[in-house]
Amino acid sequence: MTDPMSGVIYIFIFPGFFFLFLYALFLAFLDRKIAARMQQRVGPPFFQPFADFIKMLGKEVIDPAGVDRVIFDAAPLVALAAVMTAYLYIPIVGNSPLAFQGDLVVVLYLMSLPTIVLFLLGWLSRNIFSAIGGIRSVTQLFIYEVPFFLALLTPALMAGTWSISEIVTWQQKNMWFVFLQPIGFIIALIGLQAKLERTPFDIPEAETEIVAGPWTELTGRRLAIMDLTIDVSFVVGSALVAAVFLGGPLIPWAVTPAWLEVVIGFFVFLVKTLAVLLILSSIKVATGRIRIDQLNDIGWKYIASASILQVGIVLVMNYLRVYA
Amino acid sequence: MPEVVVSIGPHHPALKEPVNFKVVVDGEKIVRLELDLSYNHRGVEKAAEQRDFIRVLPLMERVCGICSHAHSTAFAKGIEEIMQLEIPPRAQYIRTIIAELERMHSHLLWLGVAAHVIGFNTLFMWTWRDREAIQDTVEEMSGNRVHYGMNEVGGVRRDLTPAQVTAALERLPNLEERIKKYVDMVNKEETMLIRFRGVGKLSKEEALRYGTVGPTARASGVDYDIRKDDPYLAYADVPWNVVTDTNGDVYGRTRVRIGELWESIRIVRYCLENLPEGPIRVTAPRNAPTGEILSRYEAPRGELVHFIRTNGTDKVERVDIRTPTLANWTSVAMCLVNQNLADLPVIVAAIDPCLSCTSRITLLDNQNKKTGVMSLDELIWRNRSRDQGQERP
Amino acid sequence: MSVLGEMFENLLSRPITILYPKEKVPIPGAFRGRVAITDEKCIGCSKCSLVCPARAITMIDGPREVEFNGKTLTRKKRPQVKLYKCIRCGLCERHCPTGAIFLKNELSSSGTDGEIVVT
Repeated sequence: MTDPMSGVIYIFIFPGFFFLFLYALFLAFLDRKIAARMQQRVGPPFFQPFADFIKMLGKEVIDPAGVDRVIFDAAPLVALAAVMTAYLYIPIVGNSPLAFQGDLVVVLYLMSLPTIVLFLLGWLSRNIFSAIGGIRSVTQLFIYEVPFFLALLTPALMAGTWSISEIVTWQQKNMWFVFLQPIGFIIALIGLQAKLERTPFDIPEAETEIVAGPWTELTGRRLAIMDLTIDVSFVVGSALVAAVFLGGPLIPWAVTPAWLEVVIGFFVFLVKTLAVLLILSSIKVATGRIRIDQLNDIGWKYIASASILQVGIVLVMNYLRVYA
Repeated sequence: MPEVVVSIGPHHPALKEPVNFKVVVDGEKIVRLELDLSYNHRGVEKAAEQRDFIRVLPLMERVCGICSHAHSTAFAKGIEEIMQLEIPPRAQYIRTIIAELERMHSHLLWLGVAAHVIGFNTLFMWTWRDREAIQDTVEEMSGNRVHYGMNEVGGVRRDLTPAQVTAALERLPNLEERIKKYVDMVNKEETMLIRFRGVGKLSKEEALRYGTVGPTARASGVDYDIRKDDPYLAYADVPWNVVTDTNGDVYGRTRVRIGELWESIRIVRYCLENLPEGPIRVTAPRNAPTGEILSRYEAPRGELVHFIRTNGTDKVERVDIRTPTLANWTSVAMCLVNQNLADLPVIVAAIDPCLSCTSRITLLDNQNKKTGVMSLDELIWRNRSRDQGQERP
Repeated sequence: MSVLGEMFENLLSRPITILYPKEKVPIPGAFRGRVAITDEKCIGCSKCSLVCPARAITMIDGPREVEFNGKTLTRKKRPQVKLYKCIRCGLCERHCPTGAIFLKNELSSSGTDGEIVVT
């Protein structure tokens, strides 16, 4: 990051926030379209998420009686800012210039913030549905967060670094972690699905029980920003899984000239995130919502123990110096 | 956690019809349920008293959109019995065909709603897609998708042409294939298994005690189906079986309904293939003799009862409709206790509630400008005071 | 997970939805649509207005000579149907002795204007 101008371009234009918003809205469209086609429906046109976003920005903001307006306004912005920051550390075109030791932990932390914000919103809404939804979203957070963290940290254990970019570089030299740690990959996908609160983990916003959970009292720009946050989380999450398990934007052989390698890397990134999207959308379409107590059972009994098993396997592999 | 009252409805995304549940929850567990049903009293029974037998049938169809044929057939059947009319077999068969097609579309609709309630929207979209084929068939036969207008006192209004029969028969194999798929799915699909199994359990004794009817009762192992126990229309001639299940939970109700889909398609096929020749109606007299009749009909949701009293004119003196949903409500309130809040919509949806049909009574207090419901004690008290010729103080 | 196969089959096939303004649903032959009256057949018997459950048919003045069963009758009244009050049950068609009032095989629009009538 020598040239300040290129840094600004990196953060704000490409592959920074501008691209992030476009890609987030595009993925939201693609998710809906794939789900629709799998159900033999037509689905929305490509600009639908964008149109929804603009429309909701222009809608009236309604304050429920007795709600602290400042926090209610600020909370969605905090969530959005958190996931946008997380995005900067993930390799999109080549390795991220902002990378540092430990950015994996920072990204995981920042990605948890939207859930905390949702809980806050639910708690602040002074609405019984929101309160139940908020409690459910935090209960769910405690269930999936541990396996999700473990699943994403085991590649770091094996690569011996806490930086996403270095994990990607390690995979370029050796092998993708999806082959080395298939259990971890599956758990990461499940955890991501739960983090984004999509079926079968849409328990906090189960519309047939508690209307929209923490989202019930969100209106206008608050709803627009919160929606955008989830869309952006989708990009960040799928990019993170693509980077940590699928080798990120780097390709195993060298291509000259250098700019061509970057372009190819970018398309590789697109293909990988779209693959993650297809898997997540398929899960969404193929399942219904489960109950929170069932999730508790499944989460702690199977998913958590599977992730601990994965950590154990990695420790054994490290001890045997399979990849040293 | 202290007890919290979650007030669900009358406006709620899960409820398509106006009803209010006051659910008392302790954390996620339901402690108690308080119901308020009468948000949509439409005065159908009173309106029926002011229309002659020709004009009342379209009104009866409009009691319920989904089982429109059930209501008009139950009513027409009662009047015909009072008039002692013998309905030609062809009319009976045509009524049976429409009734079973209606049952199929109702059960597919229910399957979709149940899937939607557990967030399984794929099945919801698929069942409603397949339901279109049935509605198209009915539209080809009767001219309308919802209010078929096939019945009149004395027979049916429209005949089935051979072309319509062949067209309907051609649609059946496709439907059979889809229904086979759903039978397969309900036994295998994990989401449905974990959300439906053991939820809203009702033992055979409880099902009998709370007076459940239809698929709710049959899922608890009660072998009770008006079509078999008191055959009407052409059900006595058609080979078919009553579907029962021993599970007694929502899963059992799903299995009963899907089994009934399968039986219905058999009945429709048999009726279409063995449609007797002859007239489709007899001329009904204008007036009905004085009499009282209890007309029972197995609607898709269960036993539907029309009590009809005539007084020698061309209008009914009193008609009282007991819809199957009303009979099933008690069981819902009972089996909800100690279940999860998340299971509330599933259990409620499992009886396939049809609330507007159920809203038969609303209490209007003209002096205090209040509407509401009456408790049982109050009702008994009122009856007694009326018998003794007393007015309410 | 028994739905997976069909899901991907659907993903690659066309959606079932009929895109309404572009494609139209075929109207079946028995369809009960917009009400219509053939004036030269109507003998003014008022039966349709008596059986109409929605009370959408009123008899208005319309004197005319009508052929019926080989005889010439002089009628005094003719029916007038309030289009948006009509529920298209088809009872008038069923009870009309001459087949003068009937439901056409075309979509009847809907609206709230009570003044629009079919005569």
